[in-house]
Amino acid sequence: MSTKERKLGSVGEFIRRPYVRHIFIIWIFVTIAIGLFAPVQSSLMGNSASLEMDVVKETMTIFTFWSAPVAGLVISVALYSLFGWRSQGETAPTEDGSPMRSNSKVVVGWLVGSSILCVMLLVWGLAAMSESHNGSDPAKIHTVNVVGNQWVWNFDYKDDGNFSTPVLYLPIDEPVMFNISSVDVIHSFWIVEMGVKMDANPHETTHMRVTPTELGIFNIRCAELCGLNHSAMFTKVHVVSKSDYKVWVDSMKGSAQ
Amino acid sequence: MVKRILSSVAVFAAALAFVGLVASYAMSKSKEPAPFSATSAGTVATSQGQMKHVTLALNTYPDSGVPANFNSDHTDHADWVSYGPSTRLEVPAHSLVTITITNYDSGEVLNNSFFKDVIGVEGTATLNGKPFTSVPPDHVGHTFTLRPAPINHNSELFVSVPLLAVAEDAIPAEGYTDTPNVITFSFIVGEAGEYIWNCEYPCGDGSYAKFGNAMSAERWMSGTLSVV
Amino acid sequence: MSNETHKKSKGIMRKLNAGTGVAFGLLLGFTVNYLARKYLAQGDDFPFYGDQVIISTMLAWALGFMIGVGAFVGPYRWLMNRDLSYEDQMWLAGKDAGTARYFRFTTDHKVVGIQYLVMTMVLLGVGGTLAMMIRTQLSMPNNHFINHSMYNSFVGLHGIIMIIATIIMVTGPFGNFILPIMIGARDMAFPRLNALSFWLIFAAVPILLAAPFLGGISTGWTAYAPLSTQAPAGMDAYIITIIIFAVSSAVAGANITTTAVTMRARGMTWDRTPIFVYGAVASVGVAIPAFPMFMASQIFSGLDRAMGASFYDATNGGSGWLYANLFWLMGHPEVYVILLPALVALLEIVPVFSRSPLFSFNAAVAGIVGITGLSVLVWAHHMYASGWAPNLNAPFMLTTEIISIPTGLLFLVFIGTIWRGNIWVRLPMIAVYAVLWNFLIGGITGIYLSDVPADMALHGSMYVTAHFHYTLMGAGLTGMIGATAYWFPKLTGRMLNEKFATPAFLIMQLGFQVTFFGMFLVGLEGQPRRVAMYDILFANGNKISTMGAYTIFFGALIMLVTIIDSWRNGDVAPANPWGSQTLEWKVPNPIPLENFLVPPVVTGDPYQFGKPDIYDLGADKEKVEV
Repeated sequence: MSTKERKLGSVGEFIRRPYVRHIFIIWIFVTIAIGLFAPVQSSLMGNSASLEMDVVKETMTIFTFWSAPVAGLVISVALYSLFGWRSQGETAPTEDGSPMRSNSKVVVGWLVGSSILCVMLLVWGLAAMSESHNGSDPAKIHTVNVVGNQWVWNFDYKDDGNFSTPVLYLPIDEPVMFNISSVDVIHSFWIVEMGVKMDANPHETTHMRVTPTELGIFNIRCAELCGLNHSAMFTKVHVVSKSDYKVWVDSMKGSAQ
Repeated sequence: MVKRILSSVAVFAAALAFVGLVASYAMSKSKEPAPFSATSAGTVATSQGQMKHVTLALNTYPDSGVPANFNSDHTDHADWVSYGPSTRLEVPAHSLVTITITNYDSGEVLNNSFFKDVIGVEGTATLNGKPFTSVPPDHVGHTFTLRPAPINHNSELFVSVPLLAVAEDAIPAEGYTDTPNVITFSFIVGEAGEYIWNCEYPCGDGSYAKFGNAMSAERWMSGTLSVV
Repeated sequence: MSNETHKKSKGIMRKLNAGTGVAFGLLLGFTVNYLARKYLAQGDDFPFYGDQVIISTMLAWALGFMIGVGAFVGPYRWLMNRDLSYEDQMWLAGKDAGTARYFRFTTDHKVVGIQYLVMTMVLLGVGGTLAMMIRTQLSMPNNHFINHSMYNSFVGLHGIIMIIATIIMVTGPFGNFILPIMIGARDMAFPRLNALSFWLIFAAVPILLAAPFLGGISTGWTAYAPLSTQAPAGMDAYIITIIIFAVSSAVAGANITTTAVTMRARGMTWDRTPIFVYGAVASVGVAIPAFPMFMASQIFSGLDRAMGASFYDATNGGSGWLYANLFWLMGHPEVYVILLPALVALLEIVPVFSRSPLFSFNAAVAGIVGITGLSVLVWAHHMYASGWAPNLNAPFMLTTEIISIPTGLLFLVFIGTIWRGNIWVRLPMIAVYAVLWNFLIGGITGIYLSDVPADMALHGSMYVTAHFHYTLMGAGLTGMIGATAYWFPKLTGRMLNEKFATPAFLIMQLGFQVTFFGMFLVGLEGQPRRVAMYDILFANGNKISTMGAYTIFFGALIMLVTIIDSWRNGDVAPANPWGSQTLEWKVPNPIPLENFLVPPVVTGDPYQFGKPDIYDLGADKEKVEV
């Protein structure tokens, strides 16, 4: 039987300690579990109806992936401690635990790791924000004015005609710029499945851009408590083909006389 | 020991009772008026075929409507404008609903001229017997604006009808004018569900944007329409 | 000489208590109310009359109460050049006074601490009751349990009551009772200000509770303008409550900071000061600049409502964004005011229950300082969707995401302390584990929300509500429950009966996970916040949430009963049942009036735990078989 000498406190020795191996295994399991969970939140948000919502869903998924190892570390150490380092019985422990007061390698490593993670989150976020500002041909952007009232949304089409409706119609795959305002208190214009939202402020105009990518009927809900019937401040957006949109605009222009 | 158990049970029961008391007090203060059902009026031909026809008669007052005995539910704010006799309306499913509103109140300028137009009605609305599609935006008394409650997420019914204001000089010092404006309009309701309606003319005097006070209170200028 | 010692004071001071406070407050309140209603201009041209009457009545009640409870005796006597004598001060400190001292203007920090604990429990109870009303209404998509304006009021009141409760819940009871003993002091730097800070809250609470009877509030707890200008008269109650509360917090903040900085025992250098002191000071330290913003925002709101000012009226030169900025300049630091004391209380608990020193004390301090410093730079992440300053969204995303770094350091300290400890699983330690779990979820969901595009989808939805409940309730309140379990023997002289408290705690935690899991679900599906009725799509998630809420309620009732029973009949506690090393455990139960007969001298930090084993011996080698 041959023996080998290993320096205590070295990395090699550290990873061979039984509790380290156990924690490592738990860490792998937990990280994978969180990784498997990562797409769940995006799928609960329903089918994406816009380019902007695609970005939101990707962000939720990838941020979960990136947080998984860190969360896994905390959970695995905490879980292991309840079994591997537990003092038996209800009475005070008769012996103390480790006298370790610090470990500069660990602190520095943790700081560096969390800073790198932070930078990754930031870069992703900035990239996502600039994506939604990517200009396409300004001439092809539809403009719709959104007016928030207590407790009704109305939409003023000034670009594609001159009429107002309580229900929104948009053509598919074409960017829309909303100019949003309120006549009374603060509301928030939220097209749920398109993942975009902007407050409607009294006597100010805010702007929000979206490009619908799916045909269908989607929900517009007010997202800022605005009084008694805030829960009823709800309407729909119909995303239709470009030809159906033209038909609709013509019919609205006709009846707006 | 028994005393301890008993006092613990007593504390538990007292806490439970407190919450229960708060709940029952809140419920009693939330009491809704009895539903005001539409009157049947036979059947009628509509753009969606032959349908049940029902009617509802409502009034809008410059105050709580209590002296005229139209709405005894309104004693707490004598000076608030109100709808009457009830804001909780009930109509049968798959019917043409004809609402007649008698407006006793004067008015001024809308916050949003979108509400000067008649929207979402079946056929034409009439004002004092004559058909109309909009009113001057600076002479609006109230509106009746209805949309689905979110539980009704398949419906897109949106009805908004402006109620022309009574001229200032036709309002007497006491009581109500002899020449109110009578507005009649109809709309089709589909399957059972819930709708929320409220006035969109700012008549909540003394509050920001004039949408406080009566405008922000159920049983006054806001109500429900249940399709049963 | 005998005449002096037996002379009974003729002064009013010794007759004043909470009862006289209430009496005088009611007297002054009714008088001013009568005068206001008689003499203030009213009629169609004077629409502010109602608010003016209410505001003056409330201020009169508060002033009358403070006079009646004896808050001004000290300054008055000083002005009259008859400063309080030693006997007066001992009487004020509650010497030999029995239970009566809890019902008057007592300066002993231990009395104030207990008063704060009871006040916190009352506020949590009222806020929790409102939560049950909310969840009952939301159990069905179109429930008619309560009407919509009452629902909106309950949501707003639940919020502000819980915010006030969670702000005071650790610094109030434990910052007052424990902290001075922990640093070896005889009392706080300003004992009369200590009592003042408590009784100000006592004066404010009836004002807030009057709100539902004045028509309620139509806003959430954030009281956004200009909806707050439109709101019914209950809004005035909210405004006055906050103004009074801001004074109370400022006073308490000055007191705790001065005490910690100047009154530590000999030998207690900053590196030997318990981490709880750091967290308490940092938390009130950031409250001192932040809460005046809240106060200002409410003063302007009151002026808009009661005097026709237009701070927040965009048609008249004002802006709702002014309110939002002032509010969130307070609102974000405020969540750390809530969170930090709970976390540092747990950082005191975890070394004791791991029998291991705090891992990297310096990292803990750096984490606390980092969080506090950055907290004043992140406020507009609450305003990404407001449209106020779209160009500032990216910089605020930067500062918000950076704050995850010092927060992460605190996680490191927790797991580093647990690492190779000898874990004693009692309720204070169970709370540590629960908080680690809840704060992970709260923190990571916060990271999603800090990302601007993701926030555009999630802002104003129930997802946000679930996120902040995980942080403020899952980490904050749960931490406070752990702190209560830990310091219960010191505050009450008895042991908390864990046979019931621990199952109650676990039931509450289980209910908590279920409640807010349901809320994350409906938030992702698209349910907005603060709605009294919702789309049928959200029915299942809401049912789950409501069942979870009833579970929390059940667990909370058991916890309440256990706390009361243990307080009155629990096992008498030894001076140091946990084997902790901080100074408060060195004083006997019952604690003498001035804590220490002889001021202690400190020679080391309070984390001298640890029995070295082979892994600690450093550079030695071990022989292993291969």
